[in-house]
Amino acid sequence: MPSASDVPVPSDLPLLSRVVTPEAVKAYADAGGDQNPLHQDEAFARAAGFPGVIAHGMFTMGHLAASLSKWAGGPERIRRLTAQFRAPVFMGEEIVAGGRVKEVDVEQGVAVIECWVTVDRDGRTEWPIKRGEAEVLLDP
Amino acid sequence: MNPAAAGKTYPATTLTVDPQRVAAFREVFDESEGVPATFVTVAEFAVMPQIVADPELGLDFSRVLHGNQEYEYRRPLQEGETLEVRCRLGSIRVLGGNAFLVLVTELVDPAGDVVCTARSTLIERAAD
Repeated sequence: MPSASDVPVPSDLPLLSRVVTPEAVKAYADAGGDQNPLHQDEAFARAAGFPGVIAHGMFTMGHLAASLSKWAGGPERIRRLTAQFRAPVFMGEEIVAGGRVKEVDVEQGVAVIECWVTVDRDGRTEWPIKRGEAEVLLDP
Repeated sequence: MNPAAAGKTYPATTLTVDPQRVAAFREVFDESEGVPATFVTVAEFAVMPQIVADPELGLDFSRVLHGNQEYEYRRPLQEGETLEVRCRLGSIRVLGGNAFLVLVTELVDPAGDVVCTARSTLIERAAD
């Protein structure tokens, strides 16, 4: 577990990647309650103007939250999390969550982390989540 | 979407932090313990049908994209607890044909303390 007095500023969190599969997105829809067909039905997604089914923004944000939780030592350490959804994620793509410690308040035991999720598509880096920010509780 | 609906409050509902559902959430995101930080989306989605069906707001859900999401916790959620869910329409702004709605959802414990505030920005894209 990182401790407030030891975390360098700035420093990078470990990257966490996963491949987005229709099975995982369906499992997320069942657990989270968002059954919008945009995330499961190919024909519906095309009619809505996308080249294929896209993952829920909250699927991508859940992955980002998991990366922060693994670094900090549990989800209860995340005090605030904010994300801007900037690009869709398609089935079969690999999403990569990353973060950078921007500030540490040693007395309060809180780190402020800038965080994001990227995907490499057609030789370019896209940002499904950009300018995310988290406040995470650290050990003293 | 009707900007004059900003500030409207919906009847409160409840969220039980069901351990089975929390476990399903953890499994999706490969988390090993606790309640994932984005689990509150369950409460936000439980309120959504009321908002989508509200004629005063007039939201066209078929044109909606999720633009932004924020969670702020006063304390972690506890598995098994039941919280009151209070949802209101925050700001509504129309910019270049797109309308931006901020939904504010508060989870309140039996002592009356706000445990978590969620802010969700929905973008209703301009009609073709």
